[in-house]
Amino acid sequence: MKWTILGAVAVIALILSIVLGPAAVPLGELLHSDIVWNLRAPRALLAFLVGGSLGVAGAGLQALVRNPLADPFLLGLSGGAGLGAVLAIALHLPGPWALPIAAFIGALAALGLVYRLGLIGGASLDPRILLLGGVAIGAFAAAITTAIVSLADAAELRNAFLWLWGGLSGASWDSALLVALYAPIPLAVLFAASRPLDLLALGEESASYLGADVEKVKRRVYLAASLLTAAAVAVSGVIGFVGLVVPHIARLTWGHRHRSLLPAAFLGGGALLAFADTLARTVVAPRELPVGVVTALIGVPVFALLLRRWTIA
Amino acid sequence: MLRRLLFALLVLAVGCRPSGRPAVGPSQRIVSLLPSFTELLFAIGAGDRIVGRTQWCDYPPAALDIPSVGEGLPPNIESVLARRPDLVVLYNAGPNVTAAKQLERAGVQTVLIDLNRLEDLGPAARTLGRLTGRQERAESLAIALDSLAGRPPPPSTTSLAFVVWDNPPIIIGHGSYLDQLATQAGARNVFGDVAAPSAQVSLETIVARDPQWIAVLADSAVRPGFAKRREWRAVRAVREGHFLLLPGSLFGRPGPRSGEAIRELRERLDRGPHR
Repeated sequence: MKWTILGAVAVIALILSIVLGPAAVPLGELLHSDIVWNLRAPRALLAFLVGGSLGVAGAGLQALVRNPLADPFLLGLSGGAGLGAVLAIALHLPGPWALPIAAFIGALAALGLVYRLGLIGGASLDPRILLLGGVAIGAFAAAITTAIVSLADAAELRNAFLWLWGGLSGASWDSALLVALYAPIPLAVLFAASRPLDLLALGEESASYLGADVEKVKRRVYLAASLLTAAAVAVSGVIGFVGLVVPHIARLTWGHRHRSLLPAAFLGGGALLAFADTLARTVVAPRELPVGVVTALIGVPVFALLLRRWTIA
Repeated sequence: MLRRLLFALLVLAVGCRPSGRPAVGPSQRIVSLLPSFTELLFAIGAGDRIVGRTQWCDYPPAALDIPSVGEGLPPNIESVLARRPDLVVLYNAGPNVTAAKQLERAGVQTVLIDLNRLEDLGPAARTLGRLTGRQERAESLAIALDSLAGRPPPPSTTSLAFVVWDNPPIIIGHGSYLDQLATQAGARNVFGDVAAPSAQVSLETIVARDPQWIAVLADSAVRPGFAKRREWRAVRAVREGHFLLLPGSLFGRPGPRSGEAIRELRERLDRGPHR
């Protein structure tokens, strides 16, 4: 029953994001319309994939660092991606893909640094150091970014911040298909780690007694979740709240078993972002809201409501 | 007791000092903190009194010989004061208001001037004329600029969208100088219904409104990067290569050359796409 409802919500969110938009497209022309085919459809697909990826990455990271506040962007990736994007603009790197590629490389660089910091205590990845390292590297990258912005040609770079705050305006079949080919790999790694992630919730020691290769699981989960997030930030900037709130909503409804929690987080995250993007495009048309605003405005009340229901029950 | 005596002596000394400084006369050392002000000052014949400009002040060419004090918004107070100005002209916007107060406290006269639209040009020219003792030339320039702003726009023969940024797409709406420029040149801004000077819109709105031209402020003749992006090719003007690449120095700011900018934009629109 729960799955039927979630599946229906996801399908409805996708349909709405294709049918609705600031430009009036008559229902009869939906299938032939250039706007629907070349703009709305790839954007809906990209929104769903990015939202789902963020949901799963958030669920995985929360289990890994055993901290309910963990968010895919907490581990320094947004800072790294922002630095990459601003560098691409400041150095006038040519080509239509310069900005997303630079953001992706920046996120990967931050990932590498945080990972290296996480191993500082030896061969074992320390979740606490991952968190601290992520915050530190993120702040460091943000400082360099701000230095560049304040020293270079201002007008263009202010717009880089707009890009960074997130949005799906850059969606095309190219970016949607790229993510559709890329995301399944880290997603599969995370889904495959469902059982060890359940064990990890009991504490690292207990998990290893119960037969989990804790070190391997931690590395895999961290790398897979970060690679998902890096791709998401490259195509759509930093979209907040999906990776934080969706795993919690899924956990409140589906419990702590990652075998069902992760797919639920994927569908829920995808549906939330597709729906939020539809609202962002339509409510103030012809203008558009940053989608991160909408995800927060929807996600947080839903989260508060569920939290209240579950703590009272 | 001693302190009071000293204070009294000080008051006496100040009171007795002959007022060598003349009453507020025409400014002789001006720092101009907006390219438009620099152009206006040169146009009323006060260019030789500018002792400091922003790094963006690139017209007339003589302006480039004046030392730059940096970005200008907000100004670096120390580099402005280092030019020992007796008047600092600032654009009337948030951070500049604080800067003006700091400069006043340092004993420098300041003036904050609005300059966002065509109709601001005449009053700005008059203010600068009064402060520099160039009232007559300022008045004749102001009359010309006022008539430019008051002129009924010609019927529009074409349409355009000003794209300021591509991801997210940000366009120029009603209430901005660029919108006025387009209207006066006979082109309808397809986002003339957006009240804000600039706004983020969905790409599909640009596709649906189907402007004949995409206008971009650009200092080179190279098409913007988004021209090659797949999602932007849904816009007809992008597909057909109807770009207006407008140099920011002439088109990006209201100033004494606004009439020239309107004329040139009109010519470019009439000429049609090159390729």
